[in-house]
Amino acid sequence: MITLDQIAKRFKAPAPKAQGLSALLRKPAAHWVEAVKNVSLQAGNGRITGLLGPNGAGKTTSLRMLAGLFQPDAGRIEVDGIDVQREPQAALARMGILGDAHGLYPRLTARENIVYFGRLQGLSREQAEARSEALSELLDLKKVIDRRAEGFSQGERMKTALARALVHDPANIVLDEPTNGLDVLATRSLREALRVLAREQGKCIVFSTHIMQEVEYLCDEVVVVARGASVARGTVDELKQQAGCERFEDAFVALAFGNEREAA
Amino acid sequence: MSTPSLMNHVVIVFLKELVDALRDRRTLLRLAVPALLAGPLMLMLMSGLIAQFETRAEQREVLVQGMQHAPTLRNYFERQNYTVKEAPADYEVRLRDGKLADPVLLVPADFEDKLARAEGPELELVTDSANQRANVGAGPISRLVEGFGRERAGLHLMLRGISPELLKPVDLNERDLASPGARASRITVMIPMFVIMAVLYGCLTAALDSTSGERERGSLEPLLMNPAKPLGIVSGKWLAVALLGAGVAGLCSLSFMPAQLLLRSDALAAMFRFGWGEVASFALILLPLCAALGAVLMAVAIRTKTFKEAQASATLAMTLVGLAPMVSIMNPGGDAPWQLWIPGLGQNQLMLLVLKGEPITLLQWGPAVLTAAVLTSACLVYVARHMREAVSR
Repeated sequence: MITLDQIAKRFKAPAPKAQGLSALLRKPAAHWVEAVKNVSLQAGNGRITGLLGPNGAGKTTSLRMLAGLFQPDAGRIEVDGIDVQREPQAALARMGILGDAHGLYPRLTARENIVYFGRLQGLSREQAEARSEALSELLDLKKVIDRRAEGFSQGERMKTALARALVHDPANIVLDEPTNGLDVLATRSLREALRVLAREQGKCIVFSTHIMQEVEYLCDEVVVVARGASVARGTVDELKQQAGCERFEDAFVALAFGNEREAA
Repeated sequence: MSTPSLMNHVVIVFLKELVDALRDRRTLLRLAVPALLAGPLMLMLMSGLIAQFETRAEQREVLVQGMQHAPTLRNYFERQNYTVKEAPADYEVRLRDGKLADPVLLVPADFEDKLARAEGPELELVTDSANQRANVGAGPISRLVEGFGRERAGLHLMLRGISPELLKPVDLNERDLASPGARASRITVMIPMFVIMAVLYGCLTAALDSTSGERERGSLEPLLMNPAKPLGIVSGKWLAVALLGAGVAGLCSLSFMPAQLLLRSDALAAMFRFGWGEVASFALILLPLCAALGAVLMAVAIRTKTFKEAQASATLAMTLVGLAPMVSIMNPGGDAPWQLWIPGLGQNQLMLLVLKGEPITLLQWGPAVLTAAVLTSACLVYVARHMREAVSR
């Protein structure tokens, strides 16, 4: 169970260069970029919740705050009732996160990559080995499990990173654009794996994407994010109804960019 | 499933980083080969130079132009067991090009006449101060000519019934206090610098790879999403970095042992002693340096955006520490207690003491260890604090 409650975050950005003499005399005023203004999300167990939004909407920033990489300026983040800001270690132990950056160690084998994270999560060596075996089954990694990550294809790399994130069998799974760069077959097998995890194992899955089909195929609930704020939520059908559109893509455009259009 | 302790995390990260670094065979080889070769190569070059001086001293040759004008001088030279050789006609060019390794003595045509009339004939010793080998040979020749002058003066005085002792009212005896080791240290003063360089390069790759390299590969973000305290992760990484630096330093120190066998100069071989005791002392001196340098380089690298930028930033730290020994090379003997507190310079001074064969007291070793400990902990805390920032940059 993951809750994001009205979180906000702004970053300091380099100020635009002043021209002429004033550039020398005056210190440029701090320039702030509001990456996330107001994002809320409720993801229940046994369900797949999609965070759908265009590029730059604030999805990755929100998920990074969920992972405790930095603190939100406002709002509250809870994982199974544990406050991420106050008890980051305890919260992280309950989450498996596949972030935006998911580099592997090229000189370690897939198995060693997975076991390393398992050990950091507190598993014994035997437990971690057993889990990597089970996950290679689930994610169809058997062929490459004992090869060094150096020469992995995009799909193999993604699956290994996913196995690494799931090694401690977390109750909550967070994925940031997991199908980026995957081919049709890899995408399909990933979808299948996510379905098994949610439906059969009762995990709470949150994943961000900007791809409509993925959301339609997978999500029990969708949160539409645009310009740093969550603007709509509901099942795919509910969102279509809300926007009064038959196609989900049209509904998304109406919900995400509707206000902008009206303003223009 | 229990959350492992800080110490557990340190060990897990350390082992992984070590395996990761050891599998990078190519980089390891590139670090180990120069470390192993630096000592032997340098000692060989130096011993070659010294052996050359020695054989030249044994040869006892003088290159002269116009010796036929000075039979008296030839007689004196030959009585001193010197062989007189005719200088080549193009001696000036050859001295300048460094092809001629001996200075040339010019005898004027009227030498013998002027000598007989006591008119003070003039000899000329031609050398080139940029030609090091010829320059070294100038000293013995000018002493030889002075000896000739003294003998003539003594004979003249004796003919007039005056004791030649009058020309030497004072006797001067030299007594050298330096032990053989200390004498050799004039030559071996460069060795610590090479060893410190080896430590620097040993730490550099691993330190950058485990910080900015990890960030660039995109594996730092997932690593931080484990329930591990940043200080635990950083300490594990640092241990691996320091161990690699220590390994390269150890190889470099060990390489001086077989290098001794290559010494071509017997005198140098007798003076330069490098045994297990010296290796152990070097290790004790260098361990704190490895620890501190590893931490400093990690701290420098964590603030940078790319591996390339990290390398550029690390150059500053590397230059400062690498050139610190120059302070003592430029100013030999001017040692001061404060030097022991400076990382790099302190280790240099201590290693010089070891090479001189002098014992090291705790009071001398302590400052270097203390600075290293303070520097290490400060840098590790700094890296732990900034790791999360590094990801979000």
